[in-house]
Amino acid sequence: MTSAAMAFNGARRVAQTPALPADFTLDIAPYVFEASPRRRYQTIAYNGQVPGPLLRMKQGREVSIDIHNHSADAEIVHWHGLFLPTATDGAMEEGSPMIVPGASTRITFTPDPAGFRWFHTHTFAGNDMRKAQYGGQHGFLMIDPADTSGQPGYDREVLLALHDWGGREMPSSDGSAMPDYEVSTINGKMLGFGEPVRVKQGERVMMHVLNSSPTEVHWVALAGHTFQVVALDGNAVPNPHTVPMLRLAPAERVSAIVDMNAPGVWVLGEVRKHVYAMGMGLVVEYANATGSPKWTQPQDLVWDYMQFGAQSAETASAAGTSEVIEIPLTFDSKFEGHGNAEIWRINGKSYPEVESSPLEAGKRYRLVMKNLSADDHPIHLHRHTFEVTNVGGKNMRGLRKDVLLIPAQKTSEVEFIANHPGNTLFHCHQQDHMDRGFMMVFRYA
Amino acid sequence: MWVYVMATMLLLFPLSTRAQGNYEIQVYGADTVEPKNLMVELHSNFTPEGQKYVIDGVYPTNHQEHETLELTEGLNSWSEIGFYVFTSEQAGHGVQWVGDHIRPRVRVPDSWHWKVGVSLSTEVGYQRAVYSPDTWTWEIRPIVDKTIGRWYFAVNPALERTWHGPDVKQGIGFAPGATFTYDVTKQVNLGLEYYADYGRITSPDTLHNQQQQIFAVTNLNVSPKWEINIGVGVGPTAATDHLIVKGILGRRFDWGHHSAVD
Repeated sequence: MTSAAMAFNGARRVAQTPALPADFTLDIAPYVFEASPRRRYQTIAYNGQVPGPLLRMKQGREVSIDIHNHSADAEIVHWHGLFLPTATDGAMEEGSPMIVPGASTRITFTPDPAGFRWFHTHTFAGNDMRKAQYGGQHGFLMIDPADTSGQPGYDREVLLALHDWGGREMPSSDGSAMPDYEVSTINGKMLGFGEPVRVKQGERVMMHVLNSSPTEVHWVALAGHTFQVVALDGNAVPNPHTVPMLRLAPAERVSAIVDMNAPGVWVLGEVRKHVYAMGMGLVVEYANATGSPKWTQPQDLVWDYMQFGAQSAETASAAGTSEVIEIPLTFDSKFEGHGNAEIWRINGKSYPEVESSPLEAGKRYRLVMKNLSADDHPIHLHRHTFEVTNVGGKNMRGLRKDVLLIPAQKTSEVEFIANHPGNTLFHCHQQDHMDRGFMMVFRYA
Repeated sequence: MWVYVMATMLLLFPLSTRAQGNYEIQVYGADTVEPKNLMVELHSNFTPEGQKYVIDGVYPTNHQEHETLELTEGLNSWSEIGFYVFTSEQAGHGVQWVGDHIRPRVRVPDSWHWKVGVSLSTEVGYQRAVYSPDTWTWEIRPIVDKTIGRWYFAVNPALERTWHGPDVKQGIGFAPGATFTYDVTKQVNLGLEYYADYGRITSPDTLHNQQQQIFAVTNLNVSPKWEINIGVGVGPTAATDHLIVKGILGRRFDWGHHSAVD
């Protein structure tokens, strides 16, 4: 179905919008975003703020959301990490309708699974690096579990979104073109221009960190503190582990508890110096603490998915022993000239030509992803959660995610149960890669 | 007889001294070497068919092999400085030091977001009179380049000035260079390079007396660390060496200390 036809469907939904108020409302509209007084960007935002509003829902309880598109382009909202029908998931490649400019629609769904999710636009940017995920359309989505037993205890929540702004395509030395940014922010502000996160000594703070960057992986550390990672992509990890810093690929989320046991004024910032210099940081301030914010520059980048996986075969996923159908996927790119970004391919073809055998409901599949390219790719599977079973040649079990950073020139594997019939989009979450063909749709038989 | 030959040659090649410049045959791109990086290039140019006579004490270019060592150090993200050592090898003369040049260059920073790459190079140096009667020269070279898909274009409308030598009163000369290339594959690129010396900018020489060279070239992008350029050039005018084979082999050395967080 063409996007025009999809948009027409979205417009038809306007007439169906009930008069009763919805649980939530999203207004998509132009917005002047101010990272600092000297750094302003014209963008599109949800409800006049960047990041958008926190939408908090209860697992299993139906909600309705009115979405009004006041922008000049057809829009669509993807509910990232939820098990939703294709009509509401928010990807036109699956069959979700677009919302034409000036139109409104109401969607209803029953949120599942519980955990830290997010919502964002799922449109095409192409060469316009102000559109789609390059802009300000992203927000936190927190699905509180129906059963709260077994949840980690903490005193307060802090939600943080990492984002990059002012992108432009720059040729790189390896013959491809890469986005380059002017400004990097946490919760829409450069370091020194946002409100500090205020904490008290002895508190356990749950930090939910989202990387909403269109293309960039980020490492963040909190000077003087460590993170106990308890969930990745909103799913509890088998082995909560304490780490000095977090790494988040685009669209990944990390939930980590920080014990506030070092009174002072600290910086939570990007570990890499050039990104820190572009503004990615915020101040964490203890009650009654004074002085300039302190930053301790880490000297290395430390992150390994393996440390959060199951520690023994006994704790590994029971489904790991069932029959698994392998789907080989090879990622590479086609050179388009040193002045052009390359075209991305899965099994030698770009979207929409990529083909795959239909999935059978209830069966378990293993995606064997051979990344022949020189780039790491944050792959995302819509409407499902997968179990990470191999990262770059290292086997693991028990880690459930919906985004995984596939290392360059290595093979990684994930497994998932085909338990949500309907078209299912699979793609690299880098906006420039998905715009240039790095997508495919799994269809159910 | 010799007087007659020499008079004829001077009529045919009044600007032949400029043809001695085949030590570094390259159209510059606007990019500069990154800071804490050293680019080492060896320019090897052979003239199978060139000037065959000694004119004004200048050795003939025919069958001269020129080896030029070019060292370029990046100063910051928008400037560099280059240094040249010119040598010549020829039957009867052996390997000879020809001269040295120094070449600072600045460019428009990426943060200015210009649609084209722009830089400005200036080159000052000395060459021995037996290889060029103009022993002290100065050049200022604007550089504009642009990559569009698989195509690359660069223009170097260089201006030259002699500080010491016969052409010191000539004023400013115009010696443009240009190239366009096409990426056949990620590693192989083919194209043409054009070099000219029109003489005095206010009063260009006749076409017959101008230097005009066209090279068919290939650039091999085997690695970001290496630069390989090979070309064959013809000079159709009387004042130009008629056939030149050139090669550039460059290696980038990164001597900065880089940690993972830099």
